[in-house]
Amino acid sequence: MNVAESRLALPLAALFVAFFVAPLVVLIVLSLHGEVAMRTWTLANYVKFFTDSFNYSILWSTLLLGVKATLLCVGFGYPIAWLCARSSARMQSVMVFLVILPILTSVVVRTFSWIVILGRQGIINQVLLWLGVAHEPIRLLYTEVGVVMVLAQVQMPLMVLPILTVMSKIDPNLGDASRVLGAGEWRTLWRITIPLSLPGVIAGCILTYTACITAFVTQTLIGGARLIYMPLHIYQQAIGANNWPFAAAISIVFMVAVLVIVGVLGAIGRASETYARP
Amino acid sequence: MIWHCDRRRLMTGAVGWGASVAVPRIVRAQSQTLVAATFPGTWSEADRNIIAPAFKQAAGAAVTQSIVLGTDQVARLTAAKGNKPPFDVAFFDTPQVLDAAKEGLIVEYPSAQSPNFKDLIPKFQDKWGPKITMQVIGIGYNPKKITTPPKSWDALWDPQYKGRVGLTALNSQLGIAFLAEINRIKGGTETDFEPAFKALRELLPNVGAIAANLGAYATLWQQEQIDIAPYNFNFVQTLKAKDVPVELAIPATGAVGWETSLHLVANAAEPELAVKYIDLHLDAVIQAQMLKPPYDAIPTNSKVKLEGAVTTAIAKSQADLANVRGFDWTKLNPQRGALIERFNREIKV
Repeated sequence: MNVAESRLALPLAALFVAFFVAPLVVLIVLSLHGEVAMRTWTLANYVKFFTDSFNYSILWSTLLLGVKATLLCVGFGYPIAWLCARSSARMQSVMVFLVILPILTSVVVRTFSWIVILGRQGIINQVLLWLGVAHEPIRLLYTEVGVVMVLAQVQMPLMVLPILTVMSKIDPNLGDASRVLGAGEWRTLWRITIPLSLPGVIAGCILTYTACITAFVTQTLIGGARLIYMPLHIYQQAIGANNWPFAAAISIVFMVAVLVIVGVLGAIGRASETYARP
Repeated sequence: MIWHCDRRRLMTGAVGWGASVAVPRIVRAQSQTLVAATFPGTWSEADRNIIAPAFKQAAGAAVTQSIVLGTDQVARLTAAKGNKPPFDVAFFDTPQVLDAAKEGLIVEYPSAQSPNFKDLIPKFQDKWGPKITMQVIGIGYNPKKITTPPKSWDALWDPQYKGRVGLTALNSQLGIAFLAEINRIKGGTETDFEPAFKALRELLPNVGAIAANLGAYATLWQQEQIDIAPYNFNFVQTLKAKDVPVELAIPATGAVGWETSLHLVANAAEPELAVKYIDLHLDAVIQAQMLKPPYDAIPTNSKVKLEGAVTTAIAKSQADLANVRGFDWTKLNPQRGALIERFNREIKV
């Protein structure tokens, strides 16, 4: 890219600096102060975070929540993407529409409808009671199982779309060659399709993982106050307790933890790309 | 260059600039438009249906009502400090008034320019801004499941309600007021919350759900996820109007509550309009309208005769209103952060 061309990126860079880098710097500086007025520099907020197991139990359960929801997303999303990639063009557009349908409605609306589904009087419990599987309503709302289910549904498009993009680029001749050489459907899937679509899976994982662990609305509405995850923890410190510096510090810790995970996933993704290249 | 500026000024500038971008600029640009905060639920509906048309008629100006919780308003005003504030009129519960006044986010109310101010019951004539209503808490219950109204807070601990009790997190006023009242009943003081937390631990086996915010709390009632829980008189009235099975019982230990007030924000863009708007909330005719269902807002103007649900649930007369017990927020406020943290530790699964 020459210098003239790189100038095209300047507006985006300016936007990025103004709306991302500047607030981030404010956040970091604030986290190093004792009070909102920023009179004294201190590391106390970080010390407080790391010397208290309560804080990292929250961090840990948040990171783990993301893993659970992401795995569920891969489990359901991969077959959908695979089916989608193998369907006719017409069928494919219908399926893609169905996949992105959830992101066309507000996350608040989607989450509230899940409350209706998961509640004691909800559809799932009504069906279980009617079938006689359960004798009294089972608890789904305000449990982690409920949160994982809803997150997986809400974030599913972020998993399916990248996988689908990568899969539709796989040369169909490779599959044919595999079959001609005597491999069955499963072996072809295992040896050809999965390795070649891995970059898409990794990209999908990064997107769903980061979306799941930061999903404040879903986590609080479906999980309630007893399942404390980082976004609620940050919100309560900032708004409820009015302790901005500490809220800033735990935001930074959370961000670094997420960056590490995303970095690892990214490295795996790059490795899988070299593997996929002939 | 920019880094040579005073660090603090740069930071407040950056924060304030971010906040001012977040506010709809176009709304601000039009002249003679007041921006007023209001609470979600009962108050946003009353403000939209009763106050906004009346204000348009009386002041000839439009009002944009921004629905924001009291604590969020304090956060936004703090962020915009030194710049134009995001709204002209703040809508607070008692604890936020203390915080905002201390931080210089609101100014003393110019009561001389507010003709209705003097008609308020004296205890509601606060120098930082008039109290426009009272919020009273009691025991909310589902009358379909619980046929005899509970008579005491102890009902929440009754083993027959195992898994059916609801609570709300402490970042809501309701949550903190409930904890403070339980603390008082169990023998604690404003500086010693041990009795409250001991009682909370004993209550947890009964607790089926703890909502993270009041919106989610209302849903718990709507979905009949809980049968009995501390609740606020006005929220009960709003839900009842929507045919949700919920009633409020005032325990034998008496009604407890706090006040809600309106304030002129420091550096407000439209201070005169703001005072007119606030004064309208104090008007006897307006308050009488707001006393009617589904708002059932407890009036603070001495000329308004009590009637309706308020008289059956809380107070027969203005004198009874004075008996509603409050809390010492000057002592409670500084502990709020610690209480929230302790509460989270106790309840986390």
